Amino acid sequence: MSKKLIELKSISKSFGACTVIEELDLYIRENEFVTLLGPSGCGKTTLLRIIGGFETPDRGQVFFDGEDITKLPPNKRQVNTVFQKYALFSHMTVAENIAFGLRIKKKPEDFIRERIKYALDLVNLSGFEERMPASLSGGQQQRIAIARAIVNEPKVLLLDEPLGALDLKLRQEMQYELIRLKNELGITFIYVTHDQEEALTMSDTIVVMNRGVIQQIGTPESIYNEPINAFVADFIGESNIIDGIMTADRQVVIGGQTFECVDTGFEKDQPVDVVIRPEDVELLPPDKGAVTGKVTSVIFKGVHYEIQVMSSIGINFLVQTTQYFSVDSLVGINVIPDNFQIMHKPKSEDEQILREGEDHENQ
Amino acid sequence: MIGRSLGKIYMALIIVFLYLPILVLITLSFNASRSRVVWNGFTLKWYREVFENHVIMSAFGTTIALAVLSSLIACFIGLFAALGIFAMKKRDYRIMLFFTNIPLLNADIVTGIALMLWLVRLFPLGFTSVLISHITFNIPYVILCVLPKLEAADFHQFEAARDLGASSFHAFIKVMLPDLLPGLLAGFFMAVTMSMDDFVITYFTKGPGVNTLSTLIYGEIKKGIKPEMYALSSLLFLLVLIILIVVNILMADQDNKKDNMERTQIRRRTLMKKIVLLFMMVCALSAALCACAGNNASDEGTELTVFNYSEYLDPEMIAKFTKETGIKINYEEATTPEEMYTKFSSGAISYDLLCTSDYMLKRLIDEGRAQEIDRSAIANYSNIDPKFSDLSKSFDPDGKYTVPYFWGTVGILYNTKETDGPVDSWDDLFSGKYRGNIIMQDSMRDSFMVALKYLGYSLNTKDEAQIREAAQLLKDQKSDVESYLVDEARDEVVAGNAVMAVVYSGEAYLGHEYNEDLAYVVPKEGSNLWIDSWIVTDNCKNKDAAVKFLDFLCREDVANANFEYIYYSTPNTAVVQSMDEDLKNDPAIIPSDDSIKDCEVYEAFDEKTTQLYNELWKEIKAE
Repeated sequence: MSKKLIELKSISKSFGACTVIEELDLYIRENEFVTLLGPSGCGKTTLLRIIGGFETPDRGQVFFDGEDITKLPPNKRQVNTVFQKYALFSHMTVAENIAFGLRIKKKPEDFIRERIKYALDLVNLSGFEERMPASLSGGQQQRIAIARAIVNEPKVLLLDEPLGALDLKLRQEMQYELIRLKNELGITFIYVTHDQEEALTMSDTIVVMNRGVIQQIGTPESIYNEPINAFVADFIGESNIIDGIMTADRQVVIGGQTFECVDTGFEKDQPVDVVIRPEDVELLPPDKGAVTGKVTSVIFKGVHYEIQVMSSIGINFLVQTTQYFSVDSLVGINVIPDNFQIMHKPKSEDEQILREGEDHENQ
Repeated sequence: MIGRSLGKIYMALIIVFLYLPILVLITLSFNASRSRVVWNGFTLKWYREVFENHVIMSAFGTTIALAVLSSLIACFIGLFAALGIFAMKKRDYRIMLFFTNIPLLNADIVTGIALMLWLVRLFPLGFTSVLISHITFNIPYVILCVLPKLEAADFHQFEAARDLGASSFHAFIKVMLPDLLPGLLAGFFMAVTMSMDDFVITYFTKGPGVNTLSTLIYGEIKKGIKPEMYALSSLLFLLVLIILIVVNILMADQDNKKDNMERTQIRRRTLMKKIVLLFMMVCALSAALCACAGNNASDEGTELTVFNYSEYLDPEMIAKFTKETGIKINYEEATTPEEMYTKFSSGAISYDLLCTSDYMLKRLIDEGRAQEIDRSAIANYSNIDPKFSDLSKSFDPDGKYTVPYFWGTVGILYNTKETDGPVDSWDDLFSGKYRGNIIMQDSMRDSFMVALKYLGYSLNTKDEAQIREAAQLLKDQKSDVESYLVDEARDEVVAGNAVMAVVYSGEAYLGHEYNEDLAYVVPKEGSNLWIDSWIVTDNCKNKDAAVKFLDFLCREDVANANFEYIYYSTPNTAVVQSMDEDLKNDPAIIPSDDSIKDCEVYEAFDEKTTQLYNELWKEIKAE
């Protein structure tokens, strides 16, 4: 694997009485597309600003290519940022915006002109040189903001929810655009978002954060398929999170009913969280499933139906399936052993409270 | 329908009341006649004279230099203050804003006096003290204009600039400043307007010889405002109007931001550049003006600080004196004796020579504020009519302190065509013969004087019975009086709105100039005779120079120039002898010895008597 480009060592940061990041360690490899994912207020933007140099951590160090840059001002760092609200210089033309960084570095005008053209080609906005930012659409402004950052050939590009203000279709287009750019430029992207779909689509590595603490680091597949705790499971996609008890290895009891699973190594009779993805719940004729249930609601979602089933063991299942079932029909419910994710109960109270709150919303 | 037309009428009324006075002023600036009530045809000569008048142009230069310089510095300070305030926490922010707003709401007179008291401790009042004061009251305007722009500013742009490699200074200049510029320019122009507009604070903090247009215009009030001032005021109005329009365009720039058309954007950018260019030119101009002003002020050598009534000395004579003797004159003016007394005794400015009226002279001499003058050392004193030693007895019994400057009487200005029989007595004001056509002076002392003299008493009487009798007479007369006026008394007679008015002799001469049918008389019962004289103050360190100045004023050519500048009665016999017969025979210019034999000079009253007079005067006016 490529070398570690950025390393954060036990970073802490608080604003007043509010702790935003706590004892955080993280490294980012060269040429990686890393996404910091988490709900609002989880500290992901602050972390990005610490890397960009706009915030100084209270404790801990930031290393860039092995060098301590904790105290270095933003204009001395080899990173460039694409801001959430684009932050284009409103009184300058597109060309002047893009040339800003190069002019500060006192590059020759010929070179600057060439780079502007190159950057505009790269973001598919050739010929926009003399336009004013206010005359551009949101997507165009975003691409200019990216062009403005990449002409400086940064080693790392920081993107702070750059697609947040765009509509869905534009957002999807820009996602592909960003992946293409990343591949063409071969630089490291650190991307902040609260949108799990965006994170899953674009990233090489996802860092899930909550309340200033990293919950899980991994590839999109591993994060989705093997969430490390209920928070991650719930944040990445929708899940059924059910209280269960491990009675033995590969054996979990839910609502008095024993199911077979693949997890081992728990103490006997340990209470656990059981996570089942909605698409992993099979609905069968009433006589075929492990338990029976009654359909309470059906919502058409385009690719699939979202169905709520009240099971005979008193647990409500959220199910995603392409097959249609009418309300009040009786069904059999089955989950294959591989699809049970058994997790330890959350240790911190915060996590517990968060989960209970969300459970409450689901009901 | 009715509601709408009512609304329109209401609107029209507001506009009329707001702008009609200014329209009148502008009209008068084109009036060939010097009078406010006679239209002699259209002329541009007042505008020409404005530009030829050295005093006005220098005051204009000072005004512009002061306005631009103070606004520039206020912009600089205000910008950083706004940045600081903006960065504060909510509570501190509000507290700070509250404190910066106080100077805006505070009465100017309080600010003015406070600044004077403070600044005079640091250095002598002069251009610098006015400049500092103007900067002080301009800063809040700049802060108020910049803060909203800061609120609306996108700080991510600043961070983006930092991110792209700009130092924080560079990022601020390149990225934040263009966003704040409209606010800053609006603040600048507002400050310029406020500075040009200010009178009260300037008046209190200015030093001798420093005059802005507003203090200059105010100084003219005593003698009646000259038409040049109408022209000048019209020009000022126009200037302020232009500035306001520019400011409004700048403000509108913000409102139209949603208008995203590319072309308007680019046009605005060029407009912006032009405004900045204009701004820089104005700055350069003012810097040049300041340099000139600075040169004038920094002349070393002997200096005299002279305090006089406004419009009471031909300014060319000051230049002449400096040319002849090398002594520089810091010339300062005031309109009333009380004002002079306040300014002089506050010690804010150290005056060497002071010219004021009889009763105030007495007060100053009694307080020991005058130095003795040896009249024999003044070669040209021989020109002064010896009878003034006698007339000045009430305030300078031994002739040790004062040198007479101008004098005059109070009498009746009347229209010979409207009166039948000779007017020679105060009786014409009390007999009811000219009921409803009489104008009295709106001044306690002058009105009581008329009544007391008519009754045969002294105008300085302290006898309560006599005073009450005079008051009763004035009350009875009130129904006959058309109005009580000061400056406008003469004009009303000139315009034919009244048959007669109680006026000062100097006013009477000018009235005669406008309307040949007018005549002036000092009633046979006697009247007030006033003498304005010079004293050398106890502050004066260079008495030789002061005596030189007094000698200069007594010289025939100088006295004559001053006489022709103001047309009050001169005590200078050499001037009187060389006058035209017309002037010599005008009782407003040279009252005969016979007509003044029963005239008296005002004396200051004690507090109790003053109070009695005041109360009775209030009763008379209130009824």
